[in-house]
Amino acid sequence: MNIDYTIEAPVVEGRLTIGEIEQLVAAPMETKPDKKFYIALSISGSFLLFGAVLLALSFYKGIGLWGNNQPVGWGFPIVNFVFWVGIGHAGTLISAVLFLLRQKWRTGIARFAEAMTIFAVICAGIFPIIHTGRPWLAGYLFPYTSQHGLWVNFSSPLVWDVFAVSTYLTVSFVFWYIGLIPDFAVMRDRTSTKIKKTIYSTFSLGWRHSHRNWQHYEKAYMLLAGFATPLVLSVHTIVSFDFAVSILPGWHSTIFPPYFVAGAIFSGFAMVVTVLVFVRKIFDLEHIITLNHLEKMNKVILATGMMVGYAYGMEFFIAWYSGVEVEQFVFVNRAFGPFAWAYWIMVSCNVLIPQLFWFKKIRRSVPVMLIIVIFVNVGMWFERFVITVTSLHRDFLPSSWGYFTPTIYDIGILLGSFGLFFTLVILFTKALPVVSISEVKAVAEGAQPSHGGTH
Amino acid sequence: MPEKKDELLNASTKTDSNYWRSFEDLYKSAGSIEAKHHEFKDGVTEDFDPKKLSNFSRRKFLALLGASAALAGTGCNNYPDRGEIIPYNKKPEEITLGVANYYASTASCEHSCGVLIKTREGRPIKIDGNPDHPVSKGKMCTQAQASILDLYNPERIKKPLKLSSSGIRGEISWGNVDKEIIQLLNNSSGKQVAVITKKIVSPTEKKLLDEFAQKYNAKIYSYELFNEDVRNRAWKKSYGSGLYPKIKWNEARVIVALESDFLGKEGNRVENARLFAEGRDVDDIKNFNRLYVVEGNMSLTGINADYRLRLRPDAQHEFTSALLEAVNGSLSSLNSFAKTYDLNTGKLKALVNDLKQNRGKAIVYAGSTLPEAVHLTVNAINNALSADALFNPQTEIEHHPLATADEFNSLVKSMNSGMVAAVIHYDSNPVYHLSQDIGYKTALKKVPAVISLTGTNNETAAVSSYTLPINHTLEVWGDVQTRTGFISLQQPVIAPLFSTRQKEAILLTWLNGDAKGFKDTLYHEYLMNNWQNSLFSSTPNFNKFWVNALHDGVVVTNETSTASFAFNVLPVPTVRPIVANSYVVALKSSYSIVDGSYADNGWLQELPHPVSKITWDNYAAISHITAKELGVENDDIIDIQIGNSKLSIPVFLQPGSSEKTITIELGYGRENAGAVGTGVGFNANVLMNSNGLSPWLYNASVVKGNGSYQLVTAQEHHVFDDEMTKDAAQKRGIIQEGTVEKYKQNPHFMKKEEHEKITMYGSQTNMEYPGLKWGMAIDLNKCLGCSDCVVACISENNIPVVGKDQVAKGREMHWLRIDRYYSGTEDEPKTSVQPMLCQHCDHAPCENVCPVVATTHSTDGLNQMIYNRCVGTRYCSNNCPYKVRRFNFFNYRDYFRDGYQEADVHNLIYNPEVTVRSRGVMEKCTFCIQRIMEARENATAQNRTVRGSDVKTACQEACPTTAIKFGDVNEKESEFAKFRNHELGYYVLEELNVRPNVTYITKLRNTHSEEA
Repeated sequence: MNIDYTIEAPVVEGRLTIGEIEQLVAAPMETKPDKKFYIALSISGSFLLFGAVLLALSFYKGIGLWGNNQPVGWGFPIVNFVFWVGIGHAGTLISAVLFLLRQKWRTGIARFAEAMTIFAVICAGIFPIIHTGRPWLAGYLFPYTSQHGLWVNFSSPLVWDVFAVSTYLTVSFVFWYIGLIPDFAVMRDRTSTKIKKTIYSTFSLGWRHSHRNWQHYEKAYMLLAGFATPLVLSVHTIVSFDFAVSILPGWHSTIFPPYFVAGAIFSGFAMVVTVLVFVRKIFDLEHIITLNHLEKMNKVILATGMMVGYAYGMEFFIAWYSGVEVEQFVFVNRAFGPFAWAYWIMVSCNVLIPQLFWFKKIRRSVPVMLIIVIFVNVGMWFERFVITVTSLHRDFLPSSWGYFTPTIYDIGILLGSFGLFFTLVILFTKALPVVSISEVKAVAEGAQPSHGGTH
Repeated sequence: MPEKKDELLNASTKTDSNYWRSFEDLYKSAGSIEAKHHEFKDGVTEDFDPKKLSNFSRRKFLALLGASAALAGTGCNNYPDRGEIIPYNKKPEEITLGVANYYASTASCEHSCGVLIKTREGRPIKIDGNPDHPVSKGKMCTQAQASILDLYNPERIKKPLKLSSSGIRGEISWGNVDKEIIQLLNNSSGKQVAVITKKIVSPTEKKLLDEFAQKYNAKIYSYELFNEDVRNRAWKKSYGSGLYPKIKWNEARVIVALESDFLGKEGNRVENARLFAEGRDVDDIKNFNRLYVVEGNMSLTGINADYRLRLRPDAQHEFTSALLEAVNGSLSSLNSFAKTYDLNTGKLKALVNDLKQNRGKAIVYAGSTLPEAVHLTVNAINNALSADALFNPQTEIEHHPLATADEFNSLVKSMNSGMVAAVIHYDSNPVYHLSQDIGYKTALKKVPAVISLTGTNNETAAVSSYTLPINHTLEVWGDVQTRTGFISLQQPVIAPLFSTRQKEAILLTWLNGDAKGFKDTLYHEYLMNNWQNSLFSSTPNFNKFWVNALHDGVVVTNETSTASFAFNVLPVPTVRPIVANSYVVALKSSYSIVDGSYADNGWLQELPHPVSKITWDNYAAISHITAKELGVENDDIIDIQIGNSKLSIPVFLQPGSSEKTITIELGYGRENAGAVGTGVGFNANVLMNSNGLSPWLYNASVVKGNGSYQLVTAQEHHVFDDEMTKDAAQKRGIIQEGTVEKYKQNPHFMKKEEHEKITMYGSQTNMEYPGLKWGMAIDLNKCLGCSDCVVACISENNIPVVGKDQVAKGREMHWLRIDRYYSGTEDEPKTSVQPMLCQHCDHAPCENVCPVVATTHSTDGLNQMIYNRCVGTRYCSNNCPYKVRRFNFFNYRDYFRDGYQEADVHNLIYNPEVTVRSRGVMEKCTFCIQRIMEARENATAQNRTVRGSDVKTACQEACPTTAIKFGDVNEKESEFAKFRNHELGYYVLEELNVRPNVTYITKLRNTHSEEA
């Protein structure tokens, strides 16, 4: 193959003018929602409602309605929590880390990925609260001053979680909002309806596209990207501490932080690809979110998938190398015990299937990649299931071994969280620019002075 | 004196006109004189018009203000407890609020255990053992402990009921009932009146029944579903008279139990266990006993055996004959027997040698369900072994012989022919218990008056014309005499909760023939009179004696038995070979609900079976090979046919079962046992008939049935699955065992291995415990796995019943559980038991992961749980390597059987010193913190520091073998320290460095040295 590496491949395809870009991105907000929108919304809304009803019943009767039991104290809610926090990581990585690394291609997908981060963290944040036996006392988890002198236990990873996740949500939200300000201003300028204008004006905070505005904006955005970057590593590290800090074989492992971060990025990218495949098609954004974008993300998926695969292998090696009987048993039991089915779903979805991304054709084939990333999503959910449940169900004392069977409530609440996520995503596509208009304009062909190349 | 001054002042103003207020006043101007006529100044009164004022009067305003304040105060508050709290107006002399009173009494369990009833403010809350009782010695059986739950059973019958002609039971007053029944009894005109009772253990009750029988031409039929009749019959044949004596298990060095569960069910198991465990003392290693068990199903005794042989129960006759020959010198038939039944000849040889070498200290004990021929042969073996040295001269007393099957048959005949005027079920349930071929239930229809005296509804009461509610044992007077040498008393510790009467008083009223003659003290007086006039007529100061007797709960008479053990040499019954290729069905009593009488007791229903750990059901226990033959797996249904009766029941593959042996526990499948017991398990009583090998042993045909049924266990069964899970508890050092031989050779054999371990932890500890520090030690040589401690813990710590569905999910709430591990092969498993409870680790892994500091460590080494603070993240439970934490997934009091445990009466059972936990809260063993606090208060009151020996935990108190010790770790000279620092002591999962505080004393198996 002859590739001319001297020429930078255009980030935005189809030689779109700046006006066309604005037109394209703003279109969904300027048209009335169509039938398809309502159908999609009602489907996701139904899932959300289903989950909400089952959750309400769980509040009313007690979490005994779930499958959790004596050895398996943590079941679906914690699995879902870790899963959703992981999904969020792609957004921060794309918007913050790639921004600092000056990756221009991020502009097309950053906004959407960041929105998904926030929605995923919202979904995740629900679970630690609802999984407790007495959710109405969840406030005890926050350090508050009280006349009793009660304080939280700073040596408990669950408290670290509270800080990590709430910080993550706050920083992601602020970062996202700051990025949105110029676009709000664009929308304000485009719209003529009074209500819309008021709303956009309010949120654009008086943006005037002036040089001074831009100067401040760039600085703030850079700083926040700097803020958000360590969070990509820290949040999932701390989530992994929930497990790693315990003494339970299968949890008590130093590989967990990097392994969890890699897994988070892996699953997050998979989710971003899953959703973007549809978004670019439905909203005619194929020139802005190009096949190149998807391919790059698939490469990240391939890389992180192999990191995860390495961690799986290393866990077995360390278990064997440790010489600790219980530790060895837990891993043998994972692969060949009663939950072997879950383990092999995990391995095939996360390690084997993404290997197909070695082939360029597959990386660039939308239907195939869609199937693969859905497998990755399933596999990553099972990874958390395998870690949480299989380690617990057969631990130290054989007398207390048990099995975990989820109930309709567990499954319903999981589906409900997907309902919540997609409802928020669907509303987002109609309410806010799904692609950063200003950023994409900046990387459009001809927007920047460049040396050589085509003009 | 200010008042006086005022008076003077007033007087002067009135009388002395020289006082003036203004110049106008002084010079008496016209205006001022005019003004003096008006009380108020001008203008002040002009605007005042009461009509113009709001008609909202001051009074009304205040009334409304008060009313709205009261409304806000009462209507808007959310204080959940709206119950009345009424303090004592005049405090009873013997009651101090907050301090428990103990009253001695006797339980109505099958062993008549001597008990102390703990009452708080007049409310019984727990049953403890009576240390003065010569047999139970401060311990009591599972049922005696759990029977307190029956007192507060919300489904107790609360008023007398009469079946109307329309078939509905309606309430009727006691007066009318008595009148009607007395009339009926008087008009029986020569027809028989039958009184069906269970075993009679009370001399005064016996007297009453005899008087009643005499007056009304009544006949007393007493029965027990499980009894020692066969054993006693054989004894009479072998020894001429008397009953089978009690055994001095503590003096026996070699015990051979044949299909006998003497540690779990047979005889007085509390006493048996205590005496047996005396011979299992690691500090008296020279006198360690050796237990051989030959049985068809794994029993509690079987899991404690040093040597266990699997043998189907109907081959026991052949086995005992061969054993008799072997003891007498010839091993040949034993060898050929071993070949036929695939028994280990090594074990058999050891058995025979041990028996021969321990004459006078060895005993062979046949199970009470075995046929008479076996007992006769065993008597001959024991005679050959001079086992009579182990017979206790204190013999059992039989107040009234049990009715034979023939007697019941003739009763049914006369019932059918209309010759029975009335049947009185005297706290008995023959419709459920009597075997079907007697036809009792159908015959009842021919009896004009069927009267049931019962505490709760049962199968017999359901078909009775009168159902008369009787008092619970804690509400009655009574006496109990089970053996020579002592007699014990029952006294009421609470007034009857409902309109019930004690059964003796009901009968006494009828005996007196005066319906109005009933009074509360009726039987009390009768009992005292009987004691004063016949039982203890020679006592000089009877009143003082009586009060002392009530105080002690027991009167030791020290009468010596004159029983002599002269063996009649009889021809040994010829061996009846087993029916080739047939299945044998062995019916056993249930460990928890016995014959079904305790079926409505949730604590007992939920108590895991000591061997299989199954709760809430009975099942057919079979071996895995038999299961293969039948083509069934766990939970599959099999159809059993004996004669004309059929039973479909799920199977459970019990390791260590003999082939073609089906063991089923009775007492289940009750149809009228309230919300708790109805429909639990399968009624295998239907299989009983009079043509068995014994009443509990039958040949049967068995085939695979349809479908399956979920049996639930408190412990997963996975042990023999594969190499991975096999012997896991041993590999992990959870169970560490040795042999007596090894220990004799090297008492430090446990610690020696210790040196080879390299620790990475060093000796650092986060916390010093300079003062008192609590710890526990459990001697696994003495622990039999009987689960008495579990019930004690439930009772002490307000542990809820969760129900079968929740146990199936693994959510049982027991703070203390008995773990049972098998090792070896599925055919010949070695069994180990281990009580598991919170280990109160010094480095408790649960504590550092709790985000809200709801579990903390005390300065005296306790791992504490703060329920109010707990939000229920369950992280502590996940991080607990012992998995002893229990989570309230529901509000179980509300969840189980639609709030059964929240019923008004049921609430009275709770120990007021222990928080009743709500939904969403984690809980676990506290080392009975309430008892520690009580001991500390007492010590403070006595101006001293609390000592380790001041506290006894509930489990420790209940343990019949004193396997559980509790005390202060830092008190070096104490009894507890001996166990804490014992050379055989080990900690479970010590390598985790969580530093547990429960020391387990290594179990030693008394096998021969060549197998050590």
